[in-house]
Amino acid sequence: MSLSREAIVEGLHGIVGPDAVVTDERVLIESSVDNFRKLQNIFDVHVMPVPAAIAMPKNALEVAGILSWANENGVNVIPRTGGTATEGGLESRTPDSVIVDGSAMNEIVKVDPYNMQATVQCGVPLQALEDRVREDGLTTGHSPQSKPVAHLGGLVATRSIGQFSTLYGGIEDMVVGLEAVFPNGEICRIKNVPRRAAGPDIRHVVIGNEGALCFITEVTVKLFPYFPENNRFLGWTLKDMALGFEVLREVMVNGYKPSVARVYDPGDAGIHFSHFAAPDDCVLLFMAEGAAGIARATADGIQEIVDRHPECTQVPSEYIETWFNDLCWDASKITAEDERIRQTRNVNRTTEISADWSSINDIYQSARQRIIDEIPDITMMGGHSSHSYINGTNMYFNYFFNVVGVGPEEETEKYYLPIIGIIVEETLRRGGSIVHHHGMGKARAPWVKDEYGSSYYMLETLKTAFDPRGIMNKGTIFPI
Amino acid sequence: MSPMRIVVGFKVTPDYEALRPADWARLAAAGGPAERAEAARYVRRVLGVFDEAALELALRLRDARADHGLPTSLAACTVGGREAVPFLATLQALGFACARVDPGDAAADGGLDFAPTATAALVAACAQRLGGDVLLLGERGGPGGSGTVPFLAAEALGRPCVTGVTSLEPAEYERLRVTFTADDGPARAVAVPPCVLAVGNAVVSMVRVPTLKERLTVRDHPVAEYTAADLGVDVGALLAGSPALTSLEPIDRRRSGVVVPGGTPAEKARALYDGHLRPRLEQP
Amino acid sequence: MTAASSLRVAAVLDASGLNAERRARALGAFLRDGLHLQEGATAAAVAHVFCAADALRDDMVALAPTGDVRQIRTPSHRPDLIAAALAAFESGGGADLYVFPGGPLGTELAARLAARTGGTALTGVLKAAVRGRVLSCRRAVFSSQLTATIELGPRPWYVTLDPSWEDAAFEPPAVHSVHVEAALLRDDLSTLAPLQDVEELKPPDTGDLETARFLVVAGRGAGSRGGVERIAAAAAHMGAAFAVTRPVVMNAWAAPDRQVGVSGTRTAPAVCIVAGVSGAPAFLWGVERAGFIAAVDTDDHAPIAREADAVLVADAVAVLEALADLVHRPPD
Repeated sequence: MSLSREAIVEGLHGIVGPDAVVTDERVLIESSVDNFRKLQNIFDVHVMPVPAAIAMPKNALEVAGILSWANENGVNVIPRTGGTATEGGLESRTPDSVIVDGSAMNEIVKVDPYNMQATVQCGVPLQALEDRVREDGLTTGHSPQSKPVAHLGGLVATRSIGQFSTLYGGIEDMVVGLEAVFPNGEICRIKNVPRRAAGPDIRHVVIGNEGALCFITEVTVKLFPYFPENNRFLGWTLKDMALGFEVLREVMVNGYKPSVARVYDPGDAGIHFSHFAAPDDCVLLFMAEGAAGIARATADGIQEIVDRHPECTQVPSEYIETWFNDLCWDASKITAEDERIRQTRNVNRTTEISADWSSINDIYQSARQRIIDEIPDITMMGGHSSHSYINGTNMYFNYFFNVVGVGPEEETEKYYLPIIGIIVEETLRRGGSIVHHHGMGKARAPWVKDEYGSSYYMLETLKTAFDPRGIMNKGTIFPI
Repeated sequence: MSPMRIVVGFKVTPDYEALRPADWARLAAAGGPAERAEAARYVRRVLGVFDEAALELALRLRDARADHGLPTSLAACTVGGREAVPFLATLQALGFACARVDPGDAAADGGLDFAPTATAALVAACAQRLGGDVLLLGERGGPGGSGTVPFLAAEALGRPCVTGVTSLEPAEYERLRVTFTADDGPARAVAVPPCVLAVGNAVVSMVRVPTLKERLTVRDHPVAEYTAADLGVDVGALLAGSPALTSLEPIDRRRSGVVVPGGTPAEKARALYDGHLRPRLEQP
Repeated sequence: MTAASSLRVAAVLDASGLNAERRARALGAFLRDGLHLQEGATAAAVAHVFCAADALRDDMVALAPTGDVRQIRTPSHRPDLIAAALAAFESGGGADLYVFPGGPLGTELAARLAARTGGTALTGVLKAAVRGRVLSCRRAVFSSQLTATIELGPRPWYVTLDPSWEDAAFEPPAVHSVHVEAALLRDDLSTLAPLQDVEELKPPDTGDLETARFLVVAGRGAGSRGGVERIAAAAAHMGAAFAVTRPVVMNAWAAPDRQVGVSGTRTAPAVCIVAGVSGAPAFLWGVERAGFIAAVDTDDHAPIAREADAVLVADAVAVLEALADLVHRPPD
């Protein structure tokens, strides 16, 4: 017995008021997809179920009201803030879902430079927080490409990671405390302490839940000192990707923490660096930042390591610095890319995985070759490693294909999912993780049991405990 | 039937839109082409905006003619250094026979930027060498953006030229129907090859992307490389007679940039209206 | 030729087009204000008026920016015949400086004639000064990011004007002394027209943009066709004219006739609200004469923030709709 769309809208009016409920048909249709099926918005061809409404609560109590009402009435809820999700986490798979959008909760609650913490509501854009703390000479250290557009709620919900993670860590290293609302209406606040051993770390039930367990309403993150004047950039070209991974490993194993450490294969390097890299060149690049002594020692240490590999040819650091300054997605870049897709029908997609040092090159080579052999209309197939650890790294596959012979809404079935499938298979075969930082969303949910193995019991139990009626973002993490 | 031979001329330049104010200041203060090139050395390279439209229009014309069983041969040529190589590889994969004209030391690193006569002479000579019935170019491009290169090339080739072309379709008897922007607005006409067509603000503005397989097929195909001497063009003499750039200044469009306060969009709108708009809109 | 002798100037005008009057004004204003001679030097300017009418009409002569006029009848859409006529004129004595209005015809004539007569051409000229054997000109370069000073050497000099000269006020002389070259050009079948079946299409309706006192411009930051439409509706509600930037047209979110900037219309509103526009120079040129510019964009680092009088860091659609609630005016 599910509610009608009218009853859903009426129910929401009663909780947040009519001004906070969006029912504009155009907006609802465009909200039926996220970047995973973005071609539907770019080409204005929509085939997903249309949400019944978008509710914009102003505080945690209203969120609790919505979730408990949805729970009682079996209404599917899709939590959203900045809307930059790439794996289908925000798309509506079930009819008459309600998108609960936290953008109206956009207050920077407190910036505490002495304790190096900032508290924000879920709808604060990361760029806004970053700009605010820069006024105090500080940084969040978190810089995903979506920074100009993404909000803190979503960034925590997806276990996001930023360009400088090798120094600052991923979001999980930055979150101090938070507040989240559960389907039964419980509002839970986890306090801000530097560390504790008072039982399991329950923050990790929330961080990365992708809206499948709860709705994040407030987050406190660490702050770091900001020394842009000390930034150092280093870059090399080399022919062998395996060597590139080796060098990254050496840098990490020796304890250096550059903020950026990447190696691009020739295909991906061709997209970014053709003005200084030959068609068969890989590009290895680093950025070191922080207090002067640290930045210098990091840059010098990396220089020393790479100097031991004569196959690497150094390039002027200005190339790396110029490229880096242009990296984030502002609204202008996003619409320029949409324009390019509309005109050329050539689509750029990414899929990122992680694995240990022994496996990463194998995964990269085999997945890349299989995609080139098995998928039609590929125009570029490559990738780069951008987040390294002492015990392994990620591989960010970057690929382009022409959409040929099918409508834009069929791109997912003809190209995107088969490519993801190949990458996932090659990664699972070698014990890696099928998703490094974009989140499972709905796209990779079919592989959740393969990803977890026997530990799936723990994940599943979290879901049945916190969301027994299954109203939270059906299809995300747990396939329908 | 012999194919219609189309040659598209294109230019590769630094992505000037990626330059920051400090880079522009450096560029403006530069003492000559080499120093100007230095200010833009580290940004990526891009195709001229109108040139890219010309390339895609050429491909669509080939496809439209093929639908009628009419053969077309496509060639692309550029005057420039090695920065053009990745673009030539892409165009080869799309089916263009490619040629690069090395302008020589006198014109290296942006030396031709403000010398349309020399550029046009090289483009025209290359088009003639490649044998083009139709020479397609972007209507303007590069730092100079004079818009004269298509006409100068047409003059050298002894052909008519239309600029501001926004679309291109096959017409009877191996002619072309063109839509273009004339002095008084849009117009349509039939162009009779041999001719030069300069592409302007076409709605089709981006060139399609070749597949990896298409790239593999042409990987070992040569790109014809010519020097100015090969083409019989005395670049030095043409540069000597060209107008001389003696100084550059930034255009200062700065205004006060007062940030309008307010938390929500509605509050900001109110502050803008009360503080700035109402008095101005109420003036007669 | 000494510095004291008279500079012979030919101002060339195609009198048959829709915008002939504006182009004539541009030539007149430039000759009056934009061309600087050396100390003690003078200029003798003659307008060469080409027209396609079957009968030579007085109203076309009346546009001429100089007192002395040479009127030549030519079939329409024949830049080749105009070029031939001017080349013949040049070889018969000619002028030192030929000035053309900006636009495709002027560019074609300047380029071809420079090549044919061993002279030098320059387009988009803002100002020109004779300095001995050299003509020193200023023009916008790098897509209107910088201005350049460029010196032209060998005469004759063939220059076209920057479109901004078309905004200048200029009254043509009341009296004209006309020499008619009626017999110079015939619709000569031995010379093939460069284009066949020329058909003028309906020109874009941009009059409202050029004269608007209150203008709203939407850019990429509107986010979607729907966003652009909402901003347009807000503009209409406020009685403002509505325009867009090139990326919006390229995205097919609005019709090309709404485009403002170097490849669109140039405006001069008293009040201009620029929403979701980053502020590239090629666009700014289209609104830089506005009395007051307010920029609305979520990116406070966008170039437009420095080039506006007031900056709102907020979503373009939200602000414009909120403004529309405050400003309800009939169109001006």
